[in-house]
Amino acid sequence: MPGLATFIIRRIILYIALFFTVIVVTFLLVHMAPGDPTYILAGQVNDPEFIKAVRHRFGLDKPLYIQLLIYIENVLKGDLGYSYFRAEPVSTLILSRIPATFLLILTAMFIASLIGITLGTIAAYKRGLADAVISLLSLIGISIPYFWLGQLMLITFSLNLNLFPTGGMISLTTSYQGIYYYLDVLYHLVLPATTLAIFNIAYITRVTRGNVLDALSQDFIITAKAKGLPERRIIFRHALRNAIIPVITFIGFNTGTLLVGAIVTETIFAWPGMGSLLYSSLQLRDYPVMLGIFIYGALIVILINLIVDILYGILDPRIRRG
Amino acid sequence: MILLFHSLKKIFSNLNARLLIGILLTGVLTILGISAPLITWYPPLTAMLGPPYQPPSFQHPFGTDDLGGDIYTNTIYGIRTSLIVGALSALIALIIGIIIGSVAGYYGGFLEDLLMRITDMAFIIPQFLLALIIVTILGPNIYNIILAIGVTSWPGIARMTRATTLSVKQQTFIEAAKVLGLSDIKIIFSELLPNSLPPVIPYITLQISSNILVEAGLGFLGVSDPNVPSLGMLLNNAQQHILMNVWWMSVFPGVILSLMILGFNLLGDGLIEYMNPRLRRKMY
Repeated sequence: MPGLATFIIRRIILYIALFFTVIVVTFLLVHMAPGDPTYILAGQVNDPEFIKAVRHRFGLDKPLYIQLLIYIENVLKGDLGYSYFRAEPVSTLILSRIPATFLLILTAMFIASLIGITLGTIAAYKRGLADAVISLLSLIGISIPYFWLGQLMLITFSLNLNLFPTGGMISLTTSYQGIYYYLDVLYHLVLPATTLAIFNIAYITRVTRGNVLDALSQDFIITAKAKGLPERRIIFRHALRNAIIPVITFIGFNTGTLLVGAIVTETIFAWPGMGSLLYSSLQLRDYPVMLGIFIYGALIVILINLIVDILYGILDPRIRRG
Repeated sequence: MILLFHSLKKIFSNLNARLLIGILLTGVLTILGISAPLITWYPPLTAMLGPPYQPPSFQHPFGTDDLGGDIYTNTIYGIRTSLIVGALSALIALIIGIIIGSVAGYYGGFLEDLLMRITDMAFIIPQFLLALIIVTILGPNIYNIILAIGVTSWPGIARMTRATTLSVKQQTFIEAAKVLGLSDIKIIFSELLPNSLPPVIPYITLQISSNILVEAGLGFLGVSDPNVPSLGMLLNNAQQHILMNVWWMSVFPGVILSLMILGFNLLGDGLIEYMNPRLRRKMY
């Protein structure tokens, strides 16, 4: 069995390779596009001086492999070009949107993990009616698309019950100070976070239930029962403790799905994160921003997967063999 | 005949509730999608069939949109699009996944390591974002959408195929085929796949469900073929007019989409349980 250091180094190399693959795939896509790639990298501009500058900067007059090297160099420097419509560097634009997206994702995942793990454990332990109801609800929960659920929430709770704002992150009519500012953000966060949480509650419930069931069929549970340990102790100290590692790694490995969910949810509630940026750049055909979001999105997902992968390897030595 | 009756009876007595509801839901929706021209009375994607923003009525059971188009007609035609895109893209994923999975499982060694690493990596990159970029760059038409979803959704099938291939590979008839001197390609296609593929079938159903979701998601973000009615496109249109409180523009296409995804999820879960009765205790 290889040591921990070897495992970590191998994983890091693997994930770096993956990031390079993402850059190369993006590059190839740009060049596969019908028409001149200049317009994808620069936007639909008719200024010949600007086009010339872009062609020079990306080396579009040079052979393909040199273009690729220039592209990789630019990406590694964080230079993803300019958004034509916003006259701002793509990186600056995306980085300014990341905190809002993270706030949404972390809030939703905190709620979803708490509720999902609880429901999944109850379903696995109680079986019978509770299990049937929870399992049915979680199946329905994973079948409802986020974007439609968000619309339903907006129509019901904002437009008809007037309970929550229809969108945005802060109130535009009044400017709140101090603690009230945060409460205002929290108030705007309720609907988008709930939308994003519901699908994930359903998913985490399913995964937790499966893992707790596995743990409950192990010999040490029978031993614990035979020793006459109280039920609560069996569930929390024995079953859940063994089931929780795979559940948490599952959550970590699913960052990609989560990011996509956040992007879609943001467009419904005009939450000012990466998703809203992606949506507006899609409508404007602002290719540099779209490609930038893909590259940053992939980078975020790769980093989180790497961290989860290494933590998993530390917690469970059996993984290191893979 | 009696034999057939008995085997049918056996099949039906083993059906579980999930499988049954799944078959029913997907069956009904497929029939609705196929018979779209028969059960609708307006042409799809046509404006000015009535006043704009009308709530549901007898002429327009699902109401009308911002241009006075009939939402019922577009929704029923949208079922068709979802099913076609879901099935064809899953077929592309299946072909890629089977080739990678069975080659990796059959040959083993370095080739397996390499192919499975590639599969792991492909799993990590957000499938939806990649498909989105591919479609926007190549142009939003239905063929590019099918292609983009297909080429980004194979990793799950590849993993499953490899796992089942590994267990079938141990069987003596594979060894016998090797001793007989059959070529690798012949062994893979006529000995290995017929035995390693059946356990993968439920996952194909789940793949269809997830691909339908991706297609609708692309449409929701405005990335859809403007000449083909789709549920995602309808929900995108609903989003653009949502502040007018025109709930019918969102509710009807959304309910149909959710039922379709639920149907394929039930079918997949039910098939897994049906094929592995021992799992019954663990399944939902």
